[in-house]
Amino acid sequence: MLKKNLVCIVCPNGCDAEVMMEDGQEIKILSIDGCTCDKGKEWVVQELTSPMRTIASGIPVEHGDFKLVSVRTDAPIPLGKIFEVMTVIRHKKLKAPVAIGDILVPNPAGTACNIIATRNVAFMAV
Amino acid sequence: MENQYDVIIVGAGVVGNAIARELSKTSVSVAVIEKELDVSMGTSSRNSGVIHSGIHYKPGTLRASLNVLGNSMMADLCRDLKVKIDYIGKLTVARDEEEIKSLYMIKEQGEANGVPGLEILDPNAMEKIQPRVGGIKALHSPSTGIICPYSLTIALAENAHANGCHFFLGHGVTAIRKIQDGFEIEASGKKLTAKVLINSAGLYSADVCRMLGIHEYNIYPCRGEYLILDKRLKGTLNVLVYPAPHHGKAGLGIHLTNTVSGNILIGPSNEYLEDPEDYACTADIMAQLRKEGHALLPELKTTDFIRSFSGLRPKQTRPEVGGFKDFVIEDREDIKGFINLVGIESPGLTSSPAIALMVRDMVGKHLPLTLKNDFIGTRSGMTGHFHELSNEEKADLVAGNPDYGEVVCRCEQITKKEVLDAVENPLGVRTINSIKYRSRAMMGRCQGGFCLPRIVQILEKEFGYRPEDYLLKNRISPLFLGKMRQDTP
Amino acid sequence: MKTIKKDLVIIGGGPAGLAAAVSARKKGLSDILLIERDKILGGILNQCIHDGFGLHTFKEALTGPEYAQRFIDEFHGLGIEAMPETIVLSLDKEKTLTVSSKKGFVKIKANAVILAMGCRERTAGAISLPGTRPAGVYTAGAAQNFVNLQNIMIGKRIVILGSGDIGLIMARRMTLEGAKVEAVFELLPTPSGLARNVQQCLNDYGIPLFLSTSVFELHGKDRLTGVTVAKVDEKFQMIPETKRLVPCDTLLLSVGLIPENELSLGAGVRLEPATSGASVDDRFMTNIPGVFSCGNVLHVHDLVDHVSEEAALVGQSAAAYLLDRTESAAAIPVVTKEDIRYVLPQKISGKTDVTLSLRVTRPMRNASVLVADGDRKIARKKLVRLHPAEMIRIKVKAKHIENAEKLEVSVQC
Repeated sequence: MLKKNLVCIVCPNGCDAEVMMEDGQEIKILSIDGCTCDKGKEWVVQELTSPMRTIASGIPVEHGDFKLVSVRTDAPIPLGKIFEVMTVIRHKKLKAPVAIGDILVPNPAGTACNIIATRNVAFMAV
Repeated sequence: MENQYDVIIVGAGVVGNAIARELSKTSVSVAVIEKELDVSMGTSSRNSGVIHSGIHYKPGTLRASLNVLGNSMMADLCRDLKVKIDYIGKLTVARDEEEIKSLYMIKEQGEANGVPGLEILDPNAMEKIQPRVGGIKALHSPSTGIICPYSLTIALAENAHANGCHFFLGHGVTAIRKIQDGFEIEASGKKLTAKVLINSAGLYSADVCRMLGIHEYNIYPCRGEYLILDKRLKGTLNVLVYPAPHHGKAGLGIHLTNTVSGNILIGPSNEYLEDPEDYACTADIMAQLRKEGHALLPELKTTDFIRSFSGLRPKQTRPEVGGFKDFVIEDREDIKGFINLVGIESPGLTSSPAIALMVRDMVGKHLPLTLKNDFIGTRSGMTGHFHELSNEEKADLVAGNPDYGEVVCRCEQITKKEVLDAVENPLGVRTINSIKYRSRAMMGRCQGGFCLPRIVQILEKEFGYRPEDYLLKNRISPLFLGKMRQDTP
Repeated sequence: MKTIKKDLVIIGGGPAGLAAAVSARKKGLSDILLIERDKILGGILNQCIHDGFGLHTFKEALTGPEYAQRFIDEFHGLGIEAMPETIVLSLDKEKTLTVSSKKGFVKIKANAVILAMGCRERTAGAISLPGTRPAGVYTAGAAQNFVNLQNIMIGKRIVILGSGDIGLIMARRMTLEGAKVEAVFELLPTPSGLARNVQQCLNDYGIPLFLSTSVFELHGKDRLTGVTVAKVDEKFQMIPETKRLVPCDTLLLSVGLIPENELSLGAGVRLEPATSGASVDDRFMTNIPGVFSCGNVLHVHDLVDHVSEEAALVGQSAAAYLLDRTESAAAIPVVTKEDIRYVLPQKISGKTDVTLSLRVTRPMRNASVLVADGDRKIARKKLVRLHPAEMIRIKVKAKHIENAEKLEVSVQC
């Protein structure tokens, strides 16, 4: 049997999860202790099979009242895809205006999410 | 002719700039060469900011006479240059009979030097001047004052500049050659000539001497560390309080000093070093200063320490010798036209206007000095800061210029107009420290955490700065490493 | 000078000020003015572009700007007056403010004031960091502003001192932008930030966290070239033989937040040493009648959701105070006992239900927070994990406290 300790990142409580698994290549979870909600338990299963994260960054906006529009993925992406998605974000440029919630890049790096704007950026004449 | 001057001054500290301003009253052409990007970057900005009365120096020394004369000149100079000065006075406190004896000796010495108003006070009279001062007797010297040392240095430089003096900032002198009727000076690839050369290079004054083959002087940098306290404690200290010299020991000791901006300094320490640029603060001394601060100021809280800094005194004596040597201010007979200033440590700040007069007279022996009739000895603008004005005065200024209404530095309440003025300084210095020293922005309790991002924005919007253009103090101190994202194709 | 009269003035347009304004308006107060020194509302949330805000309030993980926008929209929707790009220079006990903006210099006479100025970061000077004073040393919040709002790369090789949440968030942020974050050093034996942030900001990216370790010297005369770090013993004294040099070009400081109470002090508001914020009653009123305090200026929170919740209560209290003019009836002191660093409010009336906010002094496991009046137990909250970084809230019912003499809050293992 294999024991694994995880810190749940679903909410600020950060529960300490203790997971018992069967030995071997395949992930077979025997028990999950320490999670105080169902979402946490789901997260633990996901984390052990294929960890997922939401990431946030910024994209330059031409003629905007902000230099950058802050952005995030609208769903978690595989942990291992973070830097690929960051490369997509890094090469993106926008023109004002941008509205909060706008889909700026659909399915970056083949992931099942969109890059969305998290703030309004108004047009500002230079 | 370009790069040819009657007088060149090496070193843009308070002494160099006082001399430059004094000479700018006359018809000679003057240039100041400075290795740093701004004036007042060495000893002149890194000290207690005290205008000494002159009680501590032996009668007949330059230090005694120049201190007392400089002190008496300072009030008018500061009025003309719009520099804040406050003659708050000083108590030198004795704690035992032996120290009382030394108080009387100092008083006698001070009177021989011409220091006005000296009085020995009993505890009642002491208490009236400074509650809870302790001690059994004190010498009161009413002519002791406080000043912002870099504000004075900057003001002297700007006024000299307004009257025609040229400044070569960021130009380190690498070689000096005696030529017929003068000198040829190489500084950062530039060649300049002067009929008279003045060495006021402070910590580097002995190096300048060596460039001319003078090997009789050495400078031993002696570091003093300070802690700066929050303005919350303003008002706990009415006068400067120093311990009396104990059993013949001369050092002034660690003490509290009020500043004209309302902070209190704890320091300075005393430590000889090799490196004339080592402005680090050390863990041991910072801990010692904190301890002494708590002992001297019972109301002091740990959150009251807002910053530390250190300065270097250009000592002429080896650490094992210690003590003071008199200022060297000489018109060299062996090298005609070389006026040499070495070892101008304390009381150099106080003495600076008097040193300038003395050096002017030396220059007068080499060059005819006729007074200009278009010399303007005053600076425009306000003395002190916007936030020190009355509400009515503030309202009027904001009505006239909206930039006075925008507070950029919330801790020191420095307005956008004051920041813009600091950026657009006459000497054309554009470092973050130059803005800080001129405007006081970033000097408060949050140390720029709030206003530095705003100042960065102002510099970008109003002056077109790119991220790589922001320098803390010199060309190799970039604040940033470029843009995070390229936003232009 | 012009004097304006206002019923309620709120100082600060961050999450606390916005929530207070919205709830005061919803309680029926019409004459409200919110003063904000920035051009835009939302305060520090504007630069907190990471997600994780709003899990309590909106049941979703929003970024700072999104969270702020919801309140800003509500604020504008209710037609509340804001005075942006305006700084309050002073406040006195008569609730007269002097404010300054490009438009001029005016006095405002308020019937009630809500203090919502937030907090500032502790600096290198505040922690007496020895060494040189080179470029490249920033508080984490200032760095966040440069990176997230001004598109500036602050450094390439970064050390972070302090494991506060902002430091952890910046460790991830800088890594995503291509910088190398060498390590995070924390003086205390436990992280100061939330456990989830240690996981998702450091562990995910292989950034080491060294506990009981601190920075003891800065190197570099011009730009930072490195820092000396060393372990500390249980008395936080440096262990000399563990000293080592970590080369870096940037040091970010995440070493604590201080409530920004200079205006409050000017008005004579009494502060609590444990929180550095005002001492308040169960209506969040300070010792000055009609002056209220909420958010990070009252006590530093770890979650913005709690700030909004607290500020909404304060908005209601201020509205009730102005509409009914009731005097403070709070006479029951709330005091801390074993293992409690602070508890707030510091005084209650006993007439209404009240939520106490508190922090423990040290990490503990499987313990209870106990509220008692002498021998009488009033409330108890069992917790698996108690940590100074995590604010604990405990509800106390009016019916249990109306005749209480003093509430004592302690941790029982």
